[in-house]
Amino acid sequence: MSKRLENYLEEISHYLGTGKEKQEILTEIKSHIMEKAEQEFGNVGEESIERVIETYGNPQEVAEKYMDDQQIIAPTFKGHLLRYTAVLFFVHFALTVLAFIFKTRMLILPFFYIPKMDNFQALFYFPMIFIYDLGLVGIILYFVTQSRKDIRLPWPKLKLNWQKMIDKGQEKPKILLLILMFLGYAALVFVYITYHTLFFKSLNPGGVESLFSPEASRWYSLALLSILGAGVLAYLVKFFIRSEWVNLLRSAAQLLILGIVINRPIENAIREFFYFDTHLVADLIVALIALLLAIDFMKNLIILGIKAFRKKSLAQ
Amino acid sequence: MAIDIGPFETEMNRGFLQVLVLVLLEKDKYGYLMVKQLEEKGYVLEENTLYPLLRRLEKKGLIKSKWDISEDRPRKFYVITKDGRDVRAELLKIGRLQNKILNHLLKENQNV
Repeated sequence: MSKRLENYLEEISHYLGTGKEKQEILTEIKSHIMEKAEQEFGNVGEESIERVIETYGNPQEVAEKYMDDQQIIAPTFKGHLLRYTAVLFFVHFALTVLAFIFKTRMLILPFFYIPKMDNFQALFYFPMIFIYDLGLVGIILYFVTQSRKDIRLPWPKLKLNWQKMIDKGQEKPKILLLILMFLGYAALVFVYITYHTLFFKSLNPGGVESLFSPEASRWYSLALLSILGAGVLAYLVKFFIRSEWVNLLRSAAQLLILGIVINRPIENAIREFFYFDTHLVADLIVALIALLLAIDFMKNLIILGIKAFRKKSLAQ
Repeated sequence: MAIDIGPFETEMNRGFLQVLVLVLLEKDKYGYLMVKQLEEKGYVLEENTLYPLLRRLEKKGLIKSKWDISEDRPRKFYVITKDGRDVRAELLKIGRLQNKILNHLLKENQNV
């Protein structure tokens, strides 16, 4: 067989995958090309084969025509793919944040394993869980599609009005609110400079008492000031740049600050004075803040995604 | 703005080509011969469209095929089946009805 024809068929064969009819298809194409070469050019040589192949089409295009009716995921499930991934990712994300805060690993059979991580590992872990969740949902929908059964998949109704959130994000920032934010922030900075803490056990006129040890007071107060500062700064930036990226970067920065705080525990930070386990309460409070920040981050990420998707759809 | 007619034509051809092949295969033929016969009638059918179509029709039992190895070069011959004839008759009926409706509406448009 002509070398050129051999290469051409081999290339088509790659694109055809592993179907059982593959060999038959390739024999059909080969037979046709040789027939045409002989009928139209009087011989089956390298040159005539080359000319027939040129008109037959590129290998990928040829293979695709045989796969017209083979879908990986039915078009009707495209919506499910996005929605299921979003729900799964949300749960996965929340569990990862909790595992990260409590410095533990988490195993939920049969699919989830969340390792014990430090800051930077966690940062890289988040995109990875998204890809994992997308893949997992994709595989399930693939099997549902291939089964060719009339399966009605549940459609979780997320009672979230994204449009409202998008509109809210695009509202013009208010100067009065900015002034109030600045005043509040300045007041907190003043308290910190005066007392070297923002967390108080008692506010007796005789003398205030900090909730934490001096080192922990400084560390936690500065962290809180940084998190709130990021919020005020982002609001200020909105007067100049009206983009969803500002909110996303703000929530990412806040999460990162919290991550740094969690990653540097301080020995005997909390003074024992309550009747219950103060460390557990503190952990739960931090977990709650982390969860709220994580939800905010996710919300901003989704809004940005929706806007990018709409922009792309409009451009088409 | 000039609109690319290609995708519309492909969509329209999808059904037409099925009937065309079913009509063409009243007698057994091999692929290259079918392309040539249509070419003589002024219709260009790309080979890489014809073969996947033949495969789909065969899978549905509307045509059947057989390799002929009596000559130097093996050739795959296709011919319509009984089911294929039944389907063809129905499809032609639908096609005629569609044409009738279309002509009727076009005539109405002319009178407007």
